[in-house]
Amino acid sequence: MKPVGFDHTVPETLDAAIDALGAGGEVKLLGGGQSLGPMLNLRLARPERLVDIGRIDDLRSTAATDEYIEIGAGVTHAEIEDGAVPDPIPGMLPYVASGIAYRAVRNRGTLGGSLCHADPAADWISVMTALDARIVTAASDGGREIDMFTFVPGAYRTNLAPGEVVRAVRVPRFSEGAVWGYYKTCRKTGEFASAIGVFVADPAKAYCRVVFGAAAGRPLVSPTLARSIAETGRAPDLAALERELEALEPALSEVKARQLAVALRRAVSGAIG
Amino acid sequence: MTETVRLTVNGEECSVNVPPRAQLAEVLRDHLELTGTHLGCEHGVCGACTVMFDGKPVRSCITFAKSCEGADVETIEGHRGDKVMAMLREAFSRHHGLQCGFCTPGMLATARDIVARFDAPDEKTIRTELSGNLCRCTGYVGIVRAIQDVIDWRNASGLSAAGHLHPEPPVPTKIAPFSIRDETIPAFPPEPAGRVRTDGTWTTVNRDFSLTAPTSEVRDLFADIWSVASCIPGATVTNVTENRFEGNVEIRFGPIRATFRGIGGYSVNEGQKTGKISGRGDDRNGQSKLEGEMTYNIGPGTHGGSLVSAEIRFRIEGLLAQFNRPELVTGFVDYLLTRFTSNCEAVLSGGKATEALQLSVLSLAWSVLRSRLRKLFGHH
Repeated sequence: MKPVGFDHTVPETLDAAIDALGAGGEVKLLGGGQSLGPMLNLRLARPERLVDIGRIDDLRSTAATDEYIEIGAGVTHAEIEDGAVPDPIPGMLPYVASGIAYRAVRNRGTLGGSLCHADPAADWISVMTALDARIVTAASDGGREIDMFTFVPGAYRTNLAPGEVVRAVRVPRFSEGAVWGYYKTCRKTGEFASAIGVFVADPAKAYCRVVFGAAAGRPLVSPTLARSIAETGRAPDLAALERELEALEPALSEVKARQLAVALRRAVSGAIG
Repeated sequence: MTETVRLTVNGEECSVNVPPRAQLAEVLRDHLELTGTHLGCEHGVCGACTVMFDGKPVRSCITFAKSCEGADVETIEGHRGDKVMAMLREAFSRHHGLQCGFCTPGMLATARDIVARFDAPDEKTIRTELSGNLCRCTGYVGIVRAIQDVIDWRNASGLSAAGHLHPEPPVPTKIAPFSIRDETIPAFPPEPAGRVRTDGTWTTVNRDFSLTAPTSEVRDLFADIWSVASCIPGATVTNVTENRFEGNVEIRFGPIRATFRGIGGYSVNEGQKTGKISGRGDDRNGQSKLEGEMTYNIGPGTHGGSLVSAEIRFRIEGLLAQFNRPELVTGFVDYLLTRFTSNCEAVLSGGKATEALQLSVLSLAWSVLRSRLRKLFGHH
């Protein structure tokens, strides 16, 4: 099906994009369009205007400091898969990127677009939560940094204000001894995940985080499990994971809770045996 | 309104006039008459429309024409002088890698990319890479063999792939136990507690939520369809006759917008302690149907306030039904309920609902009218 008719502007600069967003009407930002495109074709989304940010150089740059790697929101999954951005934690971002949808989708889909779409079953919202990344935005008043907990309050929702654009994602650098695990369950390769488990531990930074993705609205974070894994150096058993899930999100079905527990256990085992 | 887009297709510069909503596939098929690019699902899943875009495979059904300004596109009609593509075409024939041919143009684009990116992929890797291209005839066996054959030929010819990374999962590494620093996970607004169940069609959500106003005020609010509707995010009541109402509810879920217009009924029982509001409506453009009802029981809560126990049952049919996944619905219903609760609090404390501004104006006008009517008919 064709999308409903709309205007399509392709600003060349971030400022022009912010102006275009503020010009009124029902506006949607278009990144790579790999999530929004299907919704437009199905006419589930019917905006009056699209602001296509695919040509803005600012959004395609990466920067590295001693503390973090800043990845432009317009960097594609395929570029991350191919190692085109510096690695804040050895091998994790390329591995996660390589499992997103299909190569033809990864060639256009962007990091920022996926985060802003905030589909609970998508990869980056869970992974960036586990990595304690921060979202860097631009707006007419200058923009801000948002932590991932605040950024994704629920399914398909973000904390972005009208007229605010995600410019980059700031991922802290982890030390050499950091370990990570990522496991997702899909009914078919490349489909949206039915369960995601993410585990990151960096003893040198006294950091450990455990995230269940594709659960309910936002990624579920368990400081309790993180502490227990760090203090024992071992993966929790399924029963312990299911008990924690029950506490974190009582509305989960038994099947969903089991899928999430298994995904997380495999993520942790993949990292630390 | 159309706009001019200039791009290179199969080595020839083209200029097409297309509306902003046109996708690359439409440019290729309807404007350039390159009908070898096939459209299957039109939402990026089946892979039939895959073409090369600046040397990389993309879905032409979800790539807007306007995003293709200056792009270099190769379709199945092209690839002239490309030895790898010529070998792939032959190998597909030799191994029966096609039958009806619908998936073949997209399949070849993906196959071309696999040959370009992988040195010596095993069968599993090839199948994983092909997972975004659906074939309903061959069972993939011939396609996988054809690709394998061309890679073997390429390697035997002394050519290598483009040297792409092929990320692997980590090798498990034992860690010594360590202490972690305390971290505070920012608190979210407390969401109402309760349960959700679904029988595949109907979803039932049970939720309890507290309001600070005493039960008599909450019961009055809930008994008045105009007022209670003004608290439902996105809802507008346009007409009320006895226990029936007409109206619409706009649902916003990420980029999804749906406005269900329809009719409903409401009833209040037992001195307004319990009641039921039901409705059904259609989304005019999106071909979805929504049907639902809420039964509630208003009892005393803590500190002189009220506790509302609500059961919400609903079903969605049509396009939107694919979003009727329990875990999504739970979050969404809780989000609406949280806003509904704060709107009720606002209205009960003499203010107005922050959501549904249009309705707030209506309901203010109505509340004035209602008090006059009540005087007239001797209620309260």
